[in-house]
Amino acid sequence: MKVSYFETGRYVPPPDLPREWPVPPAAYDPATGAEAFRGMVERVRFVEQLGFDWISVSEHHYSPRILTPSPVVSAAWLAARVPTIKIALLGPIVPTSNPIRIAEELAMLDTLAPGRIVVGLLRGTTNEYLSYDLNPAEARERTDEGMELILKAWTEPQPFGWQGRYFQYRTVSIWPRPQQPPPPTYVLGTSAEAGAFAARKHCGLGVSYGNFESMGQATAYYRQQCAQYGWTPGPDDIIYRANMILGETDDAADEALRRRDKQAPFPVRAALRDALLQADTTRNIAGEKRPANVGGVLPISFCGGPDRVVEQIRRCRETMGAGVLDLSLQDPGAGDTDAMMDGLELFARKVLPRIRDI
Amino acid sequence: MGTSETAASFTEGFVEADGFRIRYMEAGQGTPLIHLHGAGGPRLTRGHYLLSQHYRVIAFEMPGFGQSPENTRTATMADLAATMAAAVTAMRIDRFNLLGTSFGGKVALWLAAQQRERVLGLVLEAPAAIRPAGTESPSGTPEEIARRLYAHPEKLGPLPIADPAIQAKTRALVSRLRGPDRDAALEAQMRELATPTLVLFGTLDHVIPPEMGRHYKELLPNCHLVLVYDAGHAISTERPEAFAEVTADFLERHEAFVISRIETVIHP
Repeated sequence: MKVSYFETGRYVPPPDLPREWPVPPAAYDPATGAEAFRGMVERVRFVEQLGFDWISVSEHHYSPRILTPSPVVSAAWLAARVPTIKIALLGPIVPTSNPIRIAEELAMLDTLAPGRIVVGLLRGTTNEYLSYDLNPAEARERTDEGMELILKAWTEPQPFGWQGRYFQYRTVSIWPRPQQPPPPTYVLGTSAEAGAFAARKHCGLGVSYGNFESMGQATAYYRQQCAQYGWTPGPDDIIYRANMILGETDDAADEALRRRDKQAPFPVRAALRDALLQADTTRNIAGEKRPANVGGVLPISFCGGPDRVVEQIRRCRETMGAGVLDLSLQDPGAGDTDAMMDGLELFARKVLPRIRDI
Repeated sequence: MGTSETAASFTEGFVEADGFRIRYMEAGQGTPLIHLHGAGGPRLTRGHYLLSQHYRVIAFEMPGFGQSPENTRTATMADLAATMAAAVTAMRIDRFNLLGTSFGGKVALWLAAQQRERVLGLVLEAPAAIRPAGTESPSGTPEEIARRLYAHPEKLGPLPIADPAIQAKTRALVSRLRGPDRDAALEAQMRELATPTLVLFGTLDHVIPPEMGRHYKELLPNCHLVLVYDAGHAISTERPEAFAEVTADFLERHEAFVISRIETVIHP
């Protein structure tokens, strides 16, 4: 089992920060922001020394919960300052972006930090569509076409035009190209569409936060699709991003779980949340319809002392086939980075050595 | 569609309210959208016409403005708002959307505060309810006034010549009613006003700086601010399509208007 640490740019918010998304820029404190980004480098160096395999960065907008609107910028900064650990961009939100720009920037990163970049291509959560004014009804199709175009831009040796549904280019001919072969690439999502696309393109699959059984449905569908395309994904082809509460003992972890904030940080207003849920109707797990998650509290997938957590990881592997765990040991947006560092250290000491052979 | 077609689609009417005979221009079907004009008096724009495709637009001429007799009776903005609410009632309209332009934006805020149950949605076009200290209304030659009102007066063609008698009558009324640049009584009302509100400012507004928009966001609990690129103070004249689209979308969907419905398919 490989482990990745999900770095979110820990902005430690003052208690009186407005709680609604979008959070007014007036509430932003530049010194706190600078401290958050200094801390990013420190934390990533720390987990590198602890023996983590990857760190991951993501794309979120308009609140301090995850202070990284550009995963490419995060990755470039970290790649230059931390020597060896792999950096996974999980990921650029494809439907709101110019796919050629994504292809070019990721190729640059892959050239700047050869062998260290991992790519996840993401449809994005529903509320993120508000950031760049994406019509939720088009998100799925724009993602599929954008991903196809990114992969094509990386691999096509001759200048080509693209007569898409949502994107049109008369000439695409990117420089630099990614290192050979292109960086490991994952499609991020639980839907049948994501699974089928990843299988067809020989990409990995990344799922997140859901319970082992439902995420297992998504990965089973993916493996079944891969079989149809004549290949078998390995454990490294499946990433599971999840929250973990690790304590010295089960009781300590359970107590931390009880104390955990039951409210999602920075939710959208109720009326807007309902409108978003109505607008985004194509979410599914392996084809089984499910509602979008708009600002709900993300579940804790792993909770306990080291023994219990090791068993949970074993069960995760058996149920989902995931070979890469991408972990948060404190909710993004929670201010207690010291507790998180303690958790990371405990994980490296008491859990990591015991899950390597899972 | 030029100004003449806009004018042709509206019909004139009068209503008796609060002792005034109040003129209005009306077009369209559907939920009423009441418009309260700016300090320069009523002027139909293409923006009105476009909104009349979605709403029953009623553009009032407030007492003392335009062709109406001099108004020496109305003492405050709140009084004027009450008069306009009475005019709406006299037209047998219960619930309605409300659009206020500049000076009329301040009247509209008072009206919405007085008639909270009746105003479905409120749109403030370059509102003058909150002004930098010492803000002066546009004055001077027609060219000087145009340079204050519009980002690109050169694109608008010949401007209507203002009648000096109307200007003098109106100026006295506006001076009496406009109130302080920061009106504590109104702002106290705004803090309690839950009506869904859209505030529009042109990025090149030379009358009220668009930076005033942030104060509405801070004060009104349910407020959205949208900046209209490359428009001056008279947004609905300079960028009528942009003005009407966001206004109609907001009035239809309120805060859900932030969810894009724009279709971006190039080739099906």
